[in-house]
Amino acid sequence: MVLSMGPQHPSTHGVLQAVTEIEGETVMKAEPEIGYLHTGIEKSAENLFWTQASTVIERMDYLSPLSNACCYVMGVEQLLGITDEIPLRARQSRVLLCELHRIASHCVWLGTGGIDLGAISGFFYAFDLREKILDLTELSGGARMHPNYLRIGGLRDDLPQGFIDRLDALIEMYPRRMREMRNLLQANPILQDRMVDVGILSADDALAWGITGPALRGSGVAYDVRRAFPYSGYENYEFDVITRSEGDAYARFLVRLDEMDESMRIVRQVRKELDTPGPVMIDDTKYAAPPKETIALSMEALIHHFKIVSEGFRVPPGDVYQAIEGPRGELGYYIVSNGDNRPWRVRTRPPSMYNLQVLKQIAVGELIADMVVMIGSLDPVFGEVDR
Amino acid sequence: MPSSQTPPAGATAVDPTAVRPDIADARIIRVGPADLRATLAGLKADGFTMLLDAGGADYPGRDPRFDVVYHLLNLKPGAATVAAVGRPERVRVLCGVPEAEPVVPSVADLWPAANWAEREIFDLFGIRFDGHPDLRRIQMPADWEGHPLRKDYPLRGPARERSPRPNFALKSNVGAGTPASGRTAAALQKQIAAARGQAVPKDDAS
Repeated sequence: MVLSMGPQHPSTHGVLQAVTEIEGETVMKAEPEIGYLHTGIEKSAENLFWTQASTVIERMDYLSPLSNACCYVMGVEQLLGITDEIPLRARQSRVLLCELHRIASHCVWLGTGGIDLGAISGFFYAFDLREKILDLTELSGGARMHPNYLRIGGLRDDLPQGFIDRLDALIEMYPRRMREMRNLLQANPILQDRMVDVGILSADDALAWGITGPALRGSGVAYDVRRAFPYSGYENYEFDVITRSEGDAYARFLVRLDEMDESMRIVRQVRKELDTPGPVMIDDTKYAAPPKETIALSMEALIHHFKIVSEGFRVPPGDVYQAIEGPRGELGYYIVSNGDNRPWRVRTRPPSMYNLQVLKQIAVGELIADMVVMIGSLDPVFGEVDR
Repeated sequence: MPSSQTPPAGATAVDPTAVRPDIADARIIRVGPADLRATLAGLKADGFTMLLDAGGADYPGRDPRFDVVYHLLNLKPGAATVAAVGRPERVRVLCGVPEAEPVVPSVADLWPAANWAEREIFDLFGIRFDGHPDLRRIQMPADWEGHPLRKDYPLRGPARERSPRPNFALKSNVGAGTPASGRTAAALQKQIAAARGQAVPKDDAS
């Protein structure tokens, strides 16, 4: 019998259609069909200025928008040759926000993943924690989901007044909230029964399928872009790369949970550094618009601001592959410039797409009821899969 | 009709992929479609276990017009610690594809990860992959025409007839002689009065 799960199914975490051949309750073949959320973001980015393009790029992985922006912005900075000139405080803030968004993204995965298995209460705890992080995002950039806060050359503004206090409150509430969620979900025998030995993925298979992130580390390969190709100052922070050797859904679950603690460890380290003030935008008027205050006083500043906004800036020709460790794995951008004020090509390496593809293999022989467990354990985001 | 926002096709004179040796993000190998499979199979034998990504790029006016871009990573399957992973080597393989015959051998049998990536390049650039097990469109609907990420494909989609708008200025559908609402009420009062046998109220005008 052929059963079509989705594209409108609450447990497929978005618009995924899984065409499943079943015999009794056993899955014989599973073929994920994607593309229902294709919005042509890569095409749009080619038609926007370099700075404007990050607004659409943020919308790919909508659960951690700042990791997308961070990766793209750092790629363009490499093309411009200004990577070393980015102010320290901007790099620290990027790390802080990326790690906060990793926690927020894992909160969504944890909450919805629990709901898939009937654990409703965990959802509220996880989303409450995420809400606090979205509040911080709103403070930083003005929007909860897509703040467009990162700029090529640094940040739009410094972190505002009151941000640090709210951050301290979050850091303080985090351990208790995490303990509650672990008690609710990790220690839950029903959840363990559903996840242990489901969707087993060996290390060799994971590499062949291009799996990265928590799914790869759940199969015992300690590949983390933050350690293998450090960027934005990650080499200065202490954190462990969490691995598990089992390779099943429960291993991926535990890796993500422990990763949230490691992210919080980085956040606490960055928090200490943020007491030192400093510039957050590169001191190069080619890429940085003049401060708004000067516009009222200086004609040159007004013209300069107008030029930057209406024409953008040009990026020397070349191509670059920039990768970061997103919440779902290696998020990469292959960016090509032909010397114009718009990107020639922005190719995304979407970790969700490669991670989701392995469903074809791991679902075979499992129970149909475990499909939602496996999809949840791969944690796809369809804004990124379909782009 | 191309949108006004679409940059002119063929705006690139240079090949942007060959001019920046200063960026050390990956070792770059450039091959043609004929040598692609041998190159990639050789790299796989050398320990490049992971196909990170395969994507396309379009350079109209250049010969060959398209690039298929592979990123490979030299990652050991048994690397269970950060030290064992170290700093793996990354390779970028650029394969030029001519416009006249946009066919490239598939590597989906070497790395299953290539399956969807190649489908996506086929869908969005129109480059076919010889030997691919299931070469269908993946992002666009199955009956879509054209390949959206080609530079000559307009940003707002293919040219279409403008759909006809109803003309609300012509009120031909409104029945002629329909009384205005005040008149209707008066006519109704007359009817009611006649039915009850009462005196018919006179029109205001009379």
